[in-house]
Amino acid sequence: MATHDDSRSPQKKAADDIPIYSAENLQSNMKSIYYSRTFLSIIGGVVAGIWGISGWTGFIVYFLVMAFASLGLALKAKFSAHKYFDSWNRVLFDGFFGGLMSFVLFWTFAYDIVHIF
Amino acid sequence: MAEDLVLDTAIRDWVLIPLSVVMVLIGVLRYFVGKLMRSSQTADEKIVKEGQLIIRARNLRAAANFIPAKSFRLRKAYYTNEENGLLHVPKGQATNPQAQMFSDPNMAMDMMKKNLSMIIPQTLTFAWVNFFFSGFVAAKIPFPLTQRFRAMLQNGIDLSTVDVSYVSSRSWYFLNLFGLRGLFSLILGDENAMDDTQRMMQMGGFGMDPTKSLSAEKDSMEIIQHEWALPKMGQRAEEVLRKFVKQ
Amino acid sequence: MVGASEESRLNCLEIQVDNGGGGAWEYLCLVRKLKARRSDKVLKHGLSILNDHRARSKLGGEEWTLYEQVAIAAMDCQRVDIAKDCIAELRKQFPGSMRVGRLEGMLLEVKGAWPEAEKAYQRLLEDNPLDQVIHKRKVAMAKAQGNASVVVEYLRKYLEIFMADHDAWRELAEIYVSLQMYKQAAFCYEELILCQPLVPPYHLAYAEVLYTMGGLENLQTAKMYYASTINLTGGKNTRALYGVCLCIAAINQLSKGRNKEEESSELQTLAAESLVKDYKLRAPVKLPLLTAALRNVKLVS
Repeated sequence: MATHDDSRSPQKKAADDIPIYSAENLQSNMKSIYYSRTFLSIIGGVVAGIWGISGWTGFIVYFLVMAFASLGLALKAKFSAHKYFDSWNRVLFDGFFGGLMSFVLFWTFAYDIVHIF
Repeated sequence: MAEDLVLDTAIRDWVLIPLSVVMVLIGVLRYFVGKLMRSSQTADEKIVKEGQLIIRARNLRAAANFIPAKSFRLRKAYYTNEENGLLHVPKGQATNPQAQMFSDPNMAMDMMKKNLSMIIPQTLTFAWVNFFFSGFVAAKIPFPLTQRFRAMLQNGIDLSTVDVSYVSSRSWYFLNLFGLRGLFSLILGDENAMDDTQRMMQMGGFGMDPTKSLSAEKDSMEIIQHEWALPKMGQRAEEVLRKFVKQ
Repeated sequence: MVGASEESRLNCLEIQVDNGGGGAWEYLCLVRKLKARRSDKVLKHGLSILNDHRARSKLGGEEWTLYEQVAIAAMDCQRVDIAKDCIAELRKQFPGSMRVGRLEGMLLEVKGAWPEAEKAYQRLLEDNPLDQVIHKRKVAMAKAQGNASVVVEYLRKYLEIFMADHDAWRELAEIYVSLQMYKQAAFCYEELILCQPLVPPYHLAYAEVLYTMGGLENLQTAKMYYASTINLTGGKNTRALYGVCLCIAAINQLSKGRNKEEESSELQTLAAESLVKDYKLRAPVKLPLLTAALRNVKLVS
């Protein structure tokens, strides 16, 4: 879970009525979210494969991992997402389906190597 | 449910792992080749200007609330004016990109390079997979699939009794094609973020048309509302100063 | 722009290199990356690498980047002889290179041979009319000759194509201010604010231009931009604090005849208080000056 730590520069300026965002920082924050999620989905896939999880349980594991990632990101943002992102959806859902294919690939790979052969 | 098949470990050592390794290596190689080919690019003045214009117009849209209403209206008129506004594209001038491509061989060349760098490795890998590794089960997907997937995932194996989750090497290839994108973006940096699948979709469009983006920018410029952010700054500054004085 | 952490790292490396602790190449790379202007140090350490045959060959292809860097540093330090040697070396390696041509033009500039330099740049532009660096060199050259109107002309031509280049807008704004063409300068500052809406100096400069232009409407707007500068800097910008005080005073002066009641000047008193506090903290000696000035605009009794 090391990827959570290399996250962002808290430069965002949150105002009460008109939020003002710096596009660069927002982008870099989103990039770190994307990286954390991809990284987690790959690691999660390998772990799920090694444990021999199969069937729909695997997808549940993926959702759990992603929920965990969301929680970690929210923790990292100290539960004030508007300081770093323009909406909560970014923290919760960005990169959600992007990681799915990676997860399936590495899950299958590890599962086959460990359990099928 | 058919009972579990036992797969030969040789399949793992000589099909599953090599295929993945080769695909990763090809991805990395293509990244560097693309980098090499991209370097020499001379732009045309008009294109540069249009690009810069779009950036500027986008800046205006994003930060419109930071300048006084008068200045905003002035700029809006400057950009979207129907006669000679910067973003206004006269009807006749909207060039057909296809025609433009043929008139400018450089552009066609560029496009071809880009597409070739994508198509050639993919075709070769696919042919390689098909030629060497077809006709047997290579992997098992750890989740159930419906019968409909059989034709896609098991072609080359004509056994209707085999569970659908056992797949041929070809589907393992496709799984790699889509799933390795995340890995690439991790190891190669974000430049690789645009993956094959996205590029494949764009191929139909054959290059983008600058005039189109100009008029799109014009449309969105016309609908933005100007709400000056500065009047609120006074109150907020008061708060800031109050805090500052108290410190 | 150099961030604080990077600057401290740069200084750290500089001290290390100065005391012979090694890492000269890393230092030079960092200077290049941050675009810092420390020509004397770059010249000294870069030359020591270039003169050391072993160290130079270790760099491989980077050697030529170093030559370029040292040449520019040497020109900055008026060491024309060194710059000439470096450029000759580069020319030998890359005949017909655009980048070396640029350096040669700069060398002519250093010598003060303006017409020749101009001609050299013109030739390069014919090959590649979209080279931003050369356009900027031409502007810089006109500026060095003190030819403000030519600078404006070049910059406008440049901005016609590269209209998203905010550094050029800033340059143009400053030139316009120096020519006292405030309306045009205001336009440039608006453009800068659009580019980077959260950079306080632009808000401040825009406010100052508006204040200088005068007139009730402009003063009102200037006040808001001073306020937003205060907002963006957390009240630490002395200029903005002064600006708010003066602006509101001027507004009151102008609107005295029209409406009796004074504008609610909570902001003004707060700004004055912050100024007093800041002066007490950092320059107590000058406090009397400040109170005298504030008394002039009737902020402190």
